[in-house]
Amino acid sequence: MKSPLVEIEDLRVEFGSARAVDGASLRVFEGEVLALVGESGSGKTTLIRAIQGLQPMTSGAVRLEGQTATARHRDTVQMVFQDPTGALNPRRTIYEIVAEGLRIARFAGDEEAKVREALGMAGLRPVERFLPRYPHEISGGQRQRVVIAGAMVTSPRLLLADEPVASLDASIRGEILALLRNLVDTTGLAVLVVTHDLGLAWNIADRVAVMYLGRIVETGMTEELLAHPQHPYTKALLSVVPETRQMEQQILAGEIPDPRKIPKGCRFHPRCPVMRSGEAARLGIDERCKSDDPAIIAADTIRGAACHAVELQIRGLRSGV
Amino acid sequence: MTTARTLAWQRTRKAGAATLAEFWRSTPGRIGIIVLGVFVIMAIAAPLISSQELLNPVAARVAGLPQWGTPGDYGPLGTDHLRRPVWDQFVWGSRISLFVGLAATVLTMLIGSIVGVVSGFVGGRLDTALMRITEWFLVIPFLPLAIVLAAVLGRSVWIMIFVIGITSWPSTARLVRSQVLTVKQRTFVDRSRSLGGSGFHVVRQHILPNVSGLILANTTLSVPISILTETTLSFLGLGNPGTASWGKTLEEAFTNGAISRNAWWYYLPAGLGIVAVVLAFTLIGQTLEKIVDPRLADRR
Amino acid sequence: MIELTPQPATRETVLSVRDLHVTYTVASGQVPAVRGVSFDLQRGDSLGLAGESGCGKSTLVNAILRLLPPRTEVKGQVLIEGEDVLTMKPGRLRAVRWTKGAIVFQGALHALNPVQRIGAQIVEPILLHKTEATEAAANKRVADLLEQVGIPAGRAREYPHQLSGGQRQRVLIAMALACDPTILVADEPTTALDLMVQAQVLWLLERLRAERGLTMVFITHDLSVLTYVCDRLGIMYGGRMIEQGPSDVVFEDPQHPYTRALAAAFPTIGDQSSRMKPAGLAGDPPDPSQLPPGCSFRPRCPVAIPACAEIDPPLYDAGPHRKAACILVARR
Repeated sequence: MKSPLVEIEDLRVEFGSARAVDGASLRVFEGEVLALVGESGSGKTTLIRAIQGLQPMTSGAVRLEGQTATARHRDTVQMVFQDPTGALNPRRTIYEIVAEGLRIARFAGDEEAKVREALGMAGLRPVERFLPRYPHEISGGQRQRVVIAGAMVTSPRLLLADEPVASLDASIRGEILALLRNLVDTTGLAVLVVTHDLGLAWNIADRVAVMYLGRIVETGMTEELLAHPQHPYTKALLSVVPETRQMEQQILAGEIPDPRKIPKGCRFHPRCPVMRSGEAARLGIDERCKSDDPAIIAADTIRGAACHAVELQIRGLRSGV
Repeated sequence: MTTARTLAWQRTRKAGAATLAEFWRSTPGRIGIIVLGVFVIMAIAAPLISSQELLNPVAARVAGLPQWGTPGDYGPLGTDHLRRPVWDQFVWGSRISLFVGLAATVLTMLIGSIVGVVSGFVGGRLDTALMRITEWFLVIPFLPLAIVLAAVLGRSVWIMIFVIGITSWPSTARLVRSQVLTVKQRTFVDRSRSLGGSGFHVVRQHILPNVSGLILANTTLSVPISILTETTLSFLGLGNPGTASWGKTLEEAFTNGAISRNAWWYYLPAGLGIVAVVLAFTLIGQTLEKIVDPRLADRR
Repeated sequence: MIELTPQPATRETVLSVRDLHVTYTVASGQVPAVRGVSFDLQRGDSLGLAGESGCGKSTLVNAILRLLPPRTEVKGQVLIEGEDVLTMKPGRLRAVRWTKGAIVFQGALHALNPVQRIGAQIVEPILLHKTEATEAAANKRVADLLEQVGIPAGRAREYPHQLSGGQRQRVLIAMALACDPTILVADEPTTALDLMVQAQVLWLLERLRAERGLTMVFITHDLSVLTYVCDRLGIMYGGRMIEQGPSDVVFEDPQHPYTRALAAAFPTIGDQSSRMKPAGLAGDPPDPSQLPPGCSFRPRCPVAIPACAEIDPPLYDAGPHRKAACILVARR
């Protein structure tokens, strides 16, 4: 087994009584794209901000290449933000924006060469045209490339991308996604991309982890998970994604609960179609779903779902029932 | 310097020049600068265009100046009840008004900006503490304070500067703090922190550049307030009795019956001078605000 | 999918847009935001308008109810049940607004007045248009509307910030239906909503449309959403409608190169041709103040030919009930 680049174990982030991230474990390997999928309130953004160090964790461990992550590791992990316009200081030139990472790290080498290289890697050519410009003079897609260049300039091993194309026009998303995928394929970069868009996961992700209310509820290889989802939440999500029109729609009632009032037992049980249809009762697990919180999926799990019904099914398969 | 950095620096200079050009293009801004320029030149050139000796009533009598002389009797602005030339009072008085106005504003701006930036950026309990202190200073009435201080420490220009500064900085602090809070929310601040930037780095690189425009505009608009406050204090007799100032001129004109005598040449120049300088600063400040504002917002 | 109530065989034309041109006046000159758009809608139709920034879809829809800023030049005709909105007197226009055509705006925080209770905001058009005779009847209507959009009537006394994003969007829908409009325009109603909430809102819109026989115009930049709710699709680019047709056919077999690229940006999960192959276009959507000569899509078009720089193509026939503004389509 390859050793993971990043390992997160039982991460928790609490804001007072709100449990934004309530025990998440995962691994990211070199040269892969992991898509962290969820709706708002799932905790996905809080999770990556905690990994980046922008958000203090309440408890849990983040390990980079086997060692506990500290501020010194900041260069190894960089972030790409959702809103490229907001992410660039309007009073700084593109050169200065991209060079900022190098300056903070007190880079001793040829700053200009690195900036040019990063801009070139991000597809902004000819580089000269962009160096003296201000953010408001370039387009949205180009701004996002500047953000990516600024993140790549310190040669990071892991990129945390928070909805990298959500604010961009649909026709230009493909280019930015292709850029990210290309960086992964050619430099061995690892990317953890947070998104609500399952189509994006289909486009560029090797693996997917689905989050609900602070927990990872399902994880697996992209094609497997999207073709054969196990967790009822994943199934419902896939059924309403406009891009998958074959499935029967399962529109869940209500919205994701307040993280201050996470339901007892399985956090999904009040909205779970398996519960509501009576299937859980028939399987004899409805009491379990109401009282037992499914175990946190371990970081080294390749394919797993935090669901009592799924667990029952797997145990049934194993014992040949 | 590497070529890219030179390019970037040139770009910054061009942007600065563009701001100045934009400023000059606006009519109110231009009027403001010209009017202010006239008064500043007058204040600086005071020794050249007027004399100070005749401000001494004894010297004025010795020199044989008329009492209540009209501009026709003794030009260009006649004389007052103590035979002192009004022109000299006007020119030398402008120095006090401008100096106190500017010095007090610098004090206000320094204290207000530092408190505002620290409070807004650091947040938490420090913010709460600083804001309570700010509010305390906000409610101090400047007039009783000035009177008390003048009684205790004597009357002087520096007391006036101190009083104005001490009572004006709170509103600047609150304004700056709210702007800092807004800028702090912007994603590029997050980005800087995620790149590993320290608090100092973020404040210097990102907060200050996006707040400095507001501070400048606010400062420019504070100057007229300071000048008017100084005028009020001088009018009430709290300024240095020895030096001429527009406020003092107005007070003396008022007390000695210039209005009933219709000695307009005595009070009009000082009054109009104050109005003109205040207006000039206001026009400049408003123009600056307009230029600065669209730049703070994203263009697209 | 909801079963649509069967429509009567001959349906009247409820909305007719004829050669609409909208030009904004800005500091730097004139900006043509809409350049000759025409379409008809029969009662019960639902038209989806898709396009990216600067394509003119929002401008088009605001033009229909004359909600554009003062110095905007509008040419052409917009006929709602036979009356031209663009030439109506202000009194008639005010009467028509909300009773004949209503807009559901994007439910972001800004669409609702944060200091007014939601019940008061929904009742406002009812009282203005005297849709109900008494205040009591108006309030009852508000309660009914809230129930219809899935919000308990008791919540009418709450303020917008007490509601979630999805609930605010429902309030906007209730508000739009307050005066029983003939035409409902939804301007990006599900943007900024989560997947599941989006599905709930789409389902609601579709149900309301079927129950009330509403004629709908649905605007979005998310092409995949439109195929759910709309029978017809109009793709906008550079102020023009560059493709029109039944929604499923247009999405599955786009005729215009832009539509093809746009559809490819919403990959079908399970389709191997998009796996690890994100598809996009180079360049950016055009700036309406700086459109290129000839076809506005030519700079980004993967199959452009020299003639494309000279001709700005009109909509050519591209199959049964289908049109596309591309000279390659005309030549087929």
